[in-house]
Amino acid sequence: MTAEQAAPERLSPGDRVGRVLGLSALIVGGFFPLVWMILTSLKTEAELQKFPVQYLPGALDFANYTRVFTEQPFARFFFNSLTVSLLSTLLCIAVAVPAAYALARLQVWGRGALLTAVVAFSMFPVVSLLVPLFRLFRGADLLNSYPALILPYAALSLPVAILTLVAFFSAIPRDLEAAAMVDGTSRVGALWRVVLPLSAPGVVTAALLIFVNSWNEFLLALSFNTKLDMRTVSVGVTLYQGEFAFPWPLIAAAVVIATIPVVALIAIFQRRFVAGLTAGGVKA
Amino acid sequence: MSQKTTVRPVDARPGRDRVRRETSEARLAFWLLLPAALLLCGVLLFPMLTTFRDSFFFNKLTEPYNGQPFVGLKNYVQMFGDPRFGQAMRNTLFFAILTVGGSFLVGIPMALAAHTPSRIRGLARVALLLPWAMPPVMTGLIFAWLFNAQYGVFNDFLVRLGIVQEPLRWLSTPGLAVLAMVVTIVWKTSSFVALIVLGGLQGIPRELTEASEVDGATRVQSFFRVILPLLAPSLAVAFIFRAISAVQVFDIPYTFIQQAPAQGLLETLGVYIYRTSIEFLDFGYAATLSVALFAVSLAVTAVYVRFVRDGAST
Repeated sequence: MTAEQAAPERLSPGDRVGRVLGLSALIVGGFFPLVWMILTSLKTEAELQKFPVQYLPGALDFANYTRVFTEQPFARFFFNSLTVSLLSTLLCIAVAVPAAYALARLQVWGRGALLTAVVAFSMFPVVSLLVPLFRLFRGADLLNSYPALILPYAALSLPVAILTLVAFFSAIPRDLEAAAMVDGTSRVGALWRVVLPLSAPGVVTAALLIFVNSWNEFLLALSFNTKLDMRTVSVGVTLYQGEFAFPWPLIAAAVVIATIPVVALIAIFQRRFVAGLTAGGVKA
Repeated sequence: MSQKTTVRPVDARPGRDRVRRETSEARLAFWLLLPAALLLCGVLLFPMLTTFRDSFFFNKLTEPYNGQPFVGLKNYVQMFGDPRFGQAMRNTLFFAILTVGGSFLVGIPMALAAHTPSRIRGLARVALLLPWAMPPVMTGLIFAWLFNAQYGVFNDFLVRLGIVQEPLRWLSTPGLAVLAMVVTIVWKTSSFVALIVLGGLQGIPRELTEASEVDGATRVQSFFRVILPLLAPSLAVAFIFRAISAVQVFDIPYTFIQQAPAQGLLETLGVYIYRTSIEFLDFGYAATLSVALFAVSLAVTAVYVRFVRDGAST
């Protein structure tokens, strides 16, 4: 992150204009769709059906936000998504940390082949797993349950988590562990007390990746958890459309609520996350 | 490393000690890797192998009276004669080419903008991450709304600017629906390219570009002659991962199709597989289509593995 502390540059006027234009385009382009959804969510149906478009809502009316929760059990969807995403993140990290440590540090037979296999796993099309997983979970009576989503979400994020963590663990000097082990700690103790605290940014990056992937997943959630009170938010937002009607202000409000957790996470962790992702140089 | 400090009996041979250490290390590695291997094999590899097996069987839930007999390559023969498969495959490759290309054209300038030091760098980083972090289904819904024929804001811009007289029927005109979906996917995926490129940019020492500018190169020249070649490894990584996710694209086409009467041109292979399995309940044929999708992904992966190997050897 050398650029972060870079000395102030001498910029020509042309460069300055270019920089302002570039940054504005980035910010407007990134935020506009979500901002438009927020504006839409505050409008009434009548305000919506105007052309040319009325840009700002007439009054600050949060009625759509209350309707989101009364017309569908959206609080329940939200709770489901939160539970599934948090638990799949925990499971994935718990499994990825030891595996990544072994791949980064220990003399593993066929290390290169294992890493290639890990990469290959991230290439499996999710839609190809749909039917076999469906039958597997139906056989195990796991449909409409949290494990039906937690297990595949943890597995699908595992390759990315392992690759990110391998990059972080490899960057920690071996001498630090060696010193700890001379002082009488076991290898696992050294991992727990020395390597893990030092690679906290890597663990946070991996955890965010897993959480966002799980929160956003749609296909498996749509197919495995079909009971209304087991739906997740990504499926929940599609449930407001009627047979002929598309209540856009209501859908907009649902989308805004469903996007809040990921937006909050990236706003809080943006600095560490960009640094972590770029250090891992890995699939997002 | 620890064995250097342990006191060894004088007659012990160092070789044997090393061997013992390596076996205990290998045993530890095995236990550390086991949970990951179980999860990957149980939830990804085993189902994938089941899909391969299924592709040789007839298995249609709507025709239970036909049973589930082994049919050899019949599903594959059906696939190559299936015009809908041909269309879905063409759509998939067409979208992949346009959206991967588009995400680089947009993503690289995004990364350059986010890389410039500024007081609003934090905001810029959120703007960069937001499309990537946004759930794809929501992205599909949002853009379907932006492209709405009657009340869509994109039409409003075009009419107000005098570019078109009448609002365009984006989602029900085949060509425009394709364009709308490409724009949506490019918006969503440029972030990813930008993140990887940003990582590459941060690894380039400032002195290099400064030196070339001292030598009289313009900004544009130093970008193309100095920065771009140094970004090559990042661009290759971004390209491969983008290409794989592009051929597998599902969520955004799926949401668009719900709203677009112009469906045929929007159906990707992923959507066709979903419909074959969940709507037509034809598990055998869906498995065959899945194998085709996997083959396309594998072709891209082979390029990646070759790249990684070449990168590692140099």
